[in-house]
Amino acid sequence: MYRYDEFDHAFVAARVSQFSDQVERRLSGDISEDAFKPLRLMNGVYLQLHAYMLRVAVPYGTLNGRQMRKLAHIARVYDRGYGHFTTRQNIQYNWPALSDMPAILNELAEVEMHAIQTSGNCIRNVTADHFAGAAADEVADPRPYAEILRQWSSVHPEFSFLPRKFKIAVTGSDRDRAAIQVHDIGLQLKKDDQGRLGFAVWIGGGQGRTPILAKKVKDFLPEADLLTYTTAIMRVYNLHGRRDNKYKARIKILVHETGVEKLSQEIEAEWLHLKDGELKLPAADIAAINAYFAPPELAARAEGWGELAAWKKSDPGFASWVGRNVAPHRHPDYAMVTISLKPIGGIPGDASADQMDAVAKLAEEFGHDEIRVTHEQNLVLPHVALADLEPLYRALLADGLATANAGLITDIIACPGLDYCALANARSIPVAQEISNRFGDLKRQADIGDLKIKISGCINACGHHHVGHIGILGVEKKGAELYQISLGGSGDENASIGEIIGRGFEPDRITDAIETIVDTYLANRTGADEIFIECYRRIGAEPFKTALYSSEAEAA
Amino acid sequence: MKTASFKTKVLTANRLTDGISVWLGADGEWVVSLRDAFLARHEDAVAAIEAAGRQALADNRVVDVNVIEIEETESGPRPFRLRERIRAQGPSIDYAPASAARVSQAA
Amino acid sequence: MTVIWTQDGIVENDPWVSGSAAEDGPKLLPLAEALDHAQDNAAFGVVLQPADDVRALAPILDRVEIVAVTFPAFSDGRGFSQAMLLRTRLGYKGTLRAVGTVLLDQVPLMLRTGFDSFEVDHAPTIQRLVEKRLPGIDLHYQPAADKTADGPGYSWRRTAILNG
Repeated sequence: MYRYDEFDHAFVAARVSQFSDQVERRLSGDISEDAFKPLRLMNGVYLQLHAYMLRVAVPYGTLNGRQMRKLAHIARVYDRGYGHFTTRQNIQYNWPALSDMPAILNELAEVEMHAIQTSGNCIRNVTADHFAGAAADEVADPRPYAEILRQWSSVHPEFSFLPRKFKIAVTGSDRDRAAIQVHDIGLQLKKDDQGRLGFAVWIGGGQGRTPILAKKVKDFLPEADLLTYTTAIMRVYNLHGRRDNKYKARIKILVHETGVEKLSQEIEAEWLHLKDGELKLPAADIAAINAYFAPPELAARAEGWGELAAWKKSDPGFASWVGRNVAPHRHPDYAMVTISLKPIGGIPGDASADQMDAVAKLAEEFGHDEIRVTHEQNLVLPHVALADLEPLYRALLADGLATANAGLITDIIACPGLDYCALANARSIPVAQEISNRFGDLKRQADIGDLKIKISGCINACGHHHVGHIGILGVEKKGAELYQISLGGSGDENASIGEIIGRGFEPDRITDAIETIVDTYLANRTGADEIFIECYRRIGAEPFKTALYSSEAEAA
Repeated sequence: MKTASFKTKVLTANRLTDGISVWLGADGEWVVSLRDAFLARHEDAVAAIEAAGRQALADNRVVDVNVIEIEETESGPRPFRLRERIRAQGPSIDYAPASAARVSQAA
Repeated sequence: MTVIWTQDGIVENDPWVSGSAAEDGPKLLPLAEALDHAQDNAAFGVVLQPADDVRALAPILDRVEIVAVTFPAFSDGRGFSQAMLLRTRLGYKGTLRAVGTVLLDQVPLMLRTGFDSFEVDHAPTIQRLVEKRLPGIDLHYQPAADKTADGPGYSWRRTAILNG
């Protein structure tokens, strides 16, 4: 993984003292809240319902044991003993004091971490496939390019006061595990006819109150042009993105209103001036950054094959965990392990300081000291020998981290919702917990199969409800919570925006409604191998509408 | 001034230094429990707490100052909006139970 | 109080201060008027609004004495791109002034994008500028329009060349 050089260390130290100075001026009253807000946001500090919230960047979701231990330490010392992993591969603390921020940032800097640009109308933490550098199906590792983008976008003098926030995601394989089509810029690594590496470039995807899938503006952008082309996009957006209405300020609206052809011509025209300029990436620099991400030395561990089969036979719990949470690595003796942060009835994405420490230790012991945060709010150990799976499972089990539900109905994405968030209209977490408890039986979940439920507590869609197979949006109606269901969304390479199915459900009826939907799917699927989203795409919304609403139509 | 439709109000904000939710108390200090909040039962009292809020904001003691409507119940003031009830009572979920217990023991 | 500040300090009696120009003094003209005015011989400057296309200035830029770029609000960052285009695309070498909402924490970014003159009326900002205590970072992860040294490490990095 990337390691800071002297320049990075000095930069982050300077950024910490810059922000500390801003905090000091705020506490002394030299800056008003209005002026301070954009400054604190640009360093990840929000004001939520109960306290400040600090969002710490986990660049492209990659961290090591030492960094994870520091996150645990911060949770213990400056917060209430836990943290929340987010859909943008970051971690949030819910209770830090403003006056503690300089100390927290100094602690983070010790382990090469920061909170730079985790909020604000700037280029946010660049995300990537959480299986990067390990997945069997990968064309190339997306993280070096995410790292180049991270560096280039840090405290960018031209692009720090954009019309709105700006999110970039990079994926390295045809399977899109980074949801690039719902990002402001989505980059998909690919090779051209001559085997040269580059990107398909998508722009203008996003969720929020106007969900739109990204449009492809370039089928192949050579890797050397990554920063020149991105600069062209950013400049056109900075100058022409709408600033009269914050709900129309994302680049997706500019793409929509200008038309993708015209806008891509403008980008192209700007790019012509930039493409052979000083931001063209020398091959040596790309190679140097790539070298940081060289895969760990993975010794042959063929003994794991036989052991694995024996363990699976003797322990059905282990077998179902392997079935759901273990994915093929490019090295045949290794696997990628998903550590579920979705215990049955738990809070999606939350981890206690003790659990963070436990994961750090296990990563060092069994995982070549690498941990990933996924946009589905789980953790991953990307390089685990098959021969180590059983002891790893035992250890995870002891720490409440071995729930065998990756990709199943209880692997729910949920935003913090009205329990924490100042923007929320309704709670998300209790809804997730109730659904998780209702479907908690592992055999039942496994029978239902792949099904992604995503819950947002307001229209800003941090819980990605638009791309949930089943999406749930909490709204406030006449002072009470109401939950609107959408079906058929997907955030992968076959991305789609879910369709609202009908009127919303009260908090005490939403779980029943989800169960009705699941039962309808089970009754209609061609077999266990037709997963929910495929079934929905085949049969459409009608059977679900009928099941949900027909009884009341008859009563009316 | 008190009319049938008048709803009792309290002034709430978050403390600048640590962001913790606070309410304006009867003695003009900011308190951390809604139970100890000053209840504005008529328009003049509302005007007074609004003025106090503007002053506290200008003095950089608090941020995000809002007047909210509450219902006076036997167990104390109860905000009409769920949002404000959650602000007053904390998250409605059992978060990080072990460490939360540690915090409350320490307090 | 409004002051004009540059890296050399406060500028006294600047003829281009917004709103203070005498009837017969040099004028800051809006873009459209400046394009019309270019035939005249009198000295003039241009004041740009955020929606103006700076590239329209190209034909008359050698006659413009000063370009003022307006920041209507702290959150409106179009002026940064306008400045970059003026400096790096149009090759403008004259005075480039930030006007409007000019606050301390953006001054380092303005300097990087090519501004060299600042019209400021926020007292705490003026004080810090006068004390030369700018809240900038001297290490940059990207080239911009200011004078910087290359590197270290990667082609996109730059370091500040400190005055004096």
